[in-house]
Amino acid sequence: MTAAADLVDAVAALGAVLGRTTFPLPAPSAWPAERDRRELAGQLADYLIPRLRSIDAPLLAVVGGSTGAGKSTLVNSLVGDDVSQAGVLRPTTRGPVIVCHPSDLTWFTDDRILPQLPRSSGPDGLGLVPHPGVGPGLALLDAPDIDSVVSTNRELASTLLAAADLWVFLTTAARYADAVPWQLLHTARDRGTAIAIVLNRCPPEAVNDVSAHLSDMLAAGGLGGAPLFVIAEQGLKAGRLRDKATAPIRSWLAALTADAEQRAAVVRYTLDGALHSLPPRTYALAGAADDQYAVRKQLEACVSSAYGGALARVDEAIRDGALLRGEVLARWQDVVGTGEFLRKLESRVGRVRDRVVAAVTGRPTPVEELGEALEAGIETVVRAATEDAAEATYGCWARHQAGAPLLTDELARPGPGLAETVELLVRDWQEFVLELVRTEGASKRSGARLASYGVNGAGLVVMLAVFSQTAGLTGAEIAVAGGTSVAGQKVLEAIFGEQAVRGLARQAREDLLARVDALLREDAARYGDVLGAGSVSGDELRGAADRIARVLR
Amino acid sequence: MTLVDRLAALSSVVELGADRLPDDVLADLRDLDQRAGTRLRLSGEYTVVALAGATGSGKSSLFNAIAGAPLAGVGVRRPTTSATQAIVFGSTGATELLDWLDIQTRQYGDASAAPELSGLVLLDLPDHDSTELSHRAEVDRLVRLVDAFTWVLDPQKYADAILHDEYLRPLAPHREVMVVVLNQCDRLSAPDLAACLRDLDRLLADDGLAGVPVLATSAVTPDGAEPLREFLVATVANHKARTARVSADLDAVAARLIPLVPAGRSEPPLRDAQRRLRAALATAAGIPAVVSAVGRSYERRGLAAVGWPPLRWVSTLRPDPLRRLGLGQLEVEGEVLRRTSLPSASAASRAGVDSAVRSLADTASAGLPAPWPRMLLEAAKARAGTVPDALDRAVGGAHTVTNPSPRWWRLVGAIQWLLLAAAVVGGVWLGLVAVLAYLQIDLDPPTLGPFAWPTVLLVGGLAAGLLLRVLIRPVVAVGAARRRRRTAAELGRRVEAVGEEMVLSPLRAELAVFEQLSAAVRRLSG
Repeated sequence: MTAAADLVDAVAALGAVLGRTTFPLPAPSAWPAERDRRELAGQLADYLIPRLRSIDAPLLAVVGGSTGAGKSTLVNSLVGDDVSQAGVLRPTTRGPVIVCHPSDLTWFTDDRILPQLPRSSGPDGLGLVPHPGVGPGLALLDAPDIDSVVSTNRELASTLLAAADLWVFLTTAARYADAVPWQLLHTARDRGTAIAIVLNRCPPEAVNDVSAHLSDMLAAGGLGGAPLFVIAEQGLKAGRLRDKATAPIRSWLAALTADAEQRAAVVRYTLDGALHSLPPRTYALAGAADDQYAVRKQLEACVSSAYGGALARVDEAIRDGALLRGEVLARWQDVVGTGEFLRKLESRVGRVRDRVVAAVTGRPTPVEELGEALEAGIETVVRAATEDAAEATYGCWARHQAGAPLLTDELARPGPGLAETVELLVRDWQEFVLELVRTEGASKRSGARLASYGVNGAGLVVMLAVFSQTAGLTGAEIAVAGGTSVAGQKVLEAIFGEQAVRGLARQAREDLLARVDALLREDAARYGDVLGAGSVSGDELRGAADRIARVLR
Repeated sequence: MTLVDRLAALSSVVELGADRLPDDVLADLRDLDQRAGTRLRLSGEYTVVALAGATGSGKSSLFNAIAGAPLAGVGVRRPTTSATQAIVFGSTGATELLDWLDIQTRQYGDASAAPELSGLVLLDLPDHDSTELSHRAEVDRLVRLVDAFTWVLDPQKYADAILHDEYLRPLAPHREVMVVVLNQCDRLSAPDLAACLRDLDRLLADDGLAGVPVLATSAVTPDGAEPLREFLVATVANHKARTARVSADLDAVAARLIPLVPAGRSEPPLRDAQRRLRAALATAAGIPAVVSAVGRSYERRGLAAVGWPPLRWVSTLRPDPLRRLGLGQLEVEGEVLRRTSLPSASAASRAGVDSAVRSLADTASAGLPAPWPRMLLEAAKARAGTVPDALDRAVGGAHTVTNPSPRWWRLVGAIQWLLLAAAVVGGVWLGLVAVLAYLQIDLDPPTLGPFAWPTVLLVGGLAAGLLLRVLIRPVVAVGAARRRRRTAAELGRRVEAVGEEMVLSPLRAELAVFEQLSAAVRRLSG
């Protein structure tokens, strides 16, 4: 592969990487980085790649500058015909116009450069005017202004300037110290673009003074080598400057077009400058991409610590038996204290009687009440943990410089329908436990006592065991901690001591935690959606820039 | 609303808004509070008008034309003017005012030559668009301080983005104290000038400045500055610019504040959320457990107090359920300060309280913009950590929980003793009679109908005592039910008071601050 083809490939690869790069998170570096990326990507597509592919294309001189500096008037005067509209209303030129020799027209009709602009005259397109007033090998582009209230003009102007082989930069006696054009000139200097400066509309009496001042400023700004042309303020003849005033510029341009070597030198100069500016500019973007990565990590850490904490809290509530206190304990005592528990669990008759009682009186049986209390307890704990996590994440983001702008009111609380989701979760888990008991019972591995409770009773026992049985903690200890009566203690010991119950309880707890984890993950995903997918990494950008730097060396 | 009232409202917004409004807004409010107060205190005799604009538009030339003397340096090198200079038309010096404006270069106009301009302080500002960034900083500083602006534009620069985007549009609230001058109109032909002025009008309307006077001037033609001079004379004569500027500043901050502190919000209905909080607190405080313990303890002690005396010890074999909870300390007077031994609230009930507090804060902040929901939630949760202790104290300190014995127990107890005494008397008497009969001393006891009195006393006393015990049992049960109800009611009240103190009152305080702030913003917006 030749060096030139290698370079084209490397530049095209950088363009592809840039096309995928985004800076969605509002880090301080994001906004300028996105602007720079757009500029860089634009310059690659509009100028660098086409220029590298067809080094012999005509030299494109972009006539740019402030509104009211007389860009269109200068172009018309140079061409000797009205090719672009001039006027007193600011900004005058809205749609850019390319003027070239008719023989060069084919270079510009296809979308080799500036593919995003349709070739038509008007504010949205790029006008094409073939005119013999321009020598072959040169095209003049009359650009919109760089500083008027019309923001589309400003953006278009910087796009066009980035596509230029040569800037013909127009300013006036009133304008030459303005900050905005100087910013552009400094950018052009940094990128090694060839520049010619035209000081237009200079009062005749001030020509020496102002041009001397401007030369000083150019020298101080590192642009001392740029040719400076001065055009005195004058009455326009048919909307054009006098030939005498534009003669120096005309002859300078003519010299460029006549001498292919000199023209190629200008093209080369700007091209090399642009190519050498690519690696440092890309490194700056890579820095911003690193910032994005860091910010994303910080914000994700907020989410994961809050939601991880929520899971830990649910786990803790399950483990330390705290769920068994209060309402659940009271119901447990109802069941055990009356001595009904064993009777109820062990005798079908008891169950049938309870059903009848419940059907007649409409009152739930103590066992049902216990189940409901347990269910309500788990629901409340999971719900509060999720609410806490959402709140903590919101607070964490609100304290983060880049996180605060991303927040919406919905992110302060869990996703909608949390109560129903949690209810469903607990129901599903109960189903799972019952199913577990059923299958384990069928496989005959469960304890005889447990098997004697029937599926519903055994399921309840396993669920209770989940909350009372922790590493090394026996039913007796839990019963003491919970303050159950002696009878209750005995029952608990007897039941939870069974190996079968322990095994089932472990499975049931793991399943419950897995379900809660999934729920929390789903809720946390809302924050992930706000953050969006990760973009191109800084290293990838650096890699693309390194490749160009290697080829250039 | 007078300006003074509005400024007072601004001060209270600054005070109340600390930590509640975004920092940048607050900084601007503080700045305006200070600035406006100072300007109104300083001389009202003078009106400060600034000539502002881009470099090369002819500010200094116009300044000289109004002054009637070449005071400001005019030149072709850009930027020409680098320090603000002032000319004062008037008898007194306006020293204090210029000191406040921090302007060193001061000229004094000939008041006798231009009496109609007396009271004018005209400032020639540096440019805002040249490469000299210090100029821009000076313009930005003075734009905040002066009473009225004259924006000097020229045909080349009238559509510059920096002028419209960074000065004219943000100053739209100040259109009352603004005039736009298109200078160098001598450079345009009459039709071009008319077209240019029309275009400028359109741009100003886009900036929200429709109706601002636009004057065409020229500093080189004789009387070219006359329109501006006439405008300045009128501005000075009506003496309104100073207050109009402050008023416009207040309008501008009010416009920023209104979305942050919306007005006219009706009191949110907290009743449902309050009820949920009460229920959650009751569960967390273990009220059902305490109530049932109180009931059982009442029955146990009641039956002991009114039971048959020889068998009373039996019921004390079982422990008092209240004592087991560390409650019912009869000997303690007033509030019980030590902790009860109630089981600590379960994870579920604590989570329930958290949820209830959150939903209360949510309801309270319905419809409020961004920082308020979080602020209200923080206020509601500020003392949430102390809620378990407070609940414990509330339950422990309840009067009914000490389970005082009703007076009728003692009466019935006394009757029981009396009946027992009667039985004992009857028994002893019978024994005496028996002993005497054994000794062949026949002493007939008095009789009641067919029965002898001692027999009546013995049998009647025993039977009546046991009967009383049986009959009194439902009465004790009714008393226990009543005690349960009362306890539940009292505990409910006390727990509600805890909610009121720990959650609702901080929340209400924050809501009240919001209301005050909202009222102040309303007064501020006039």
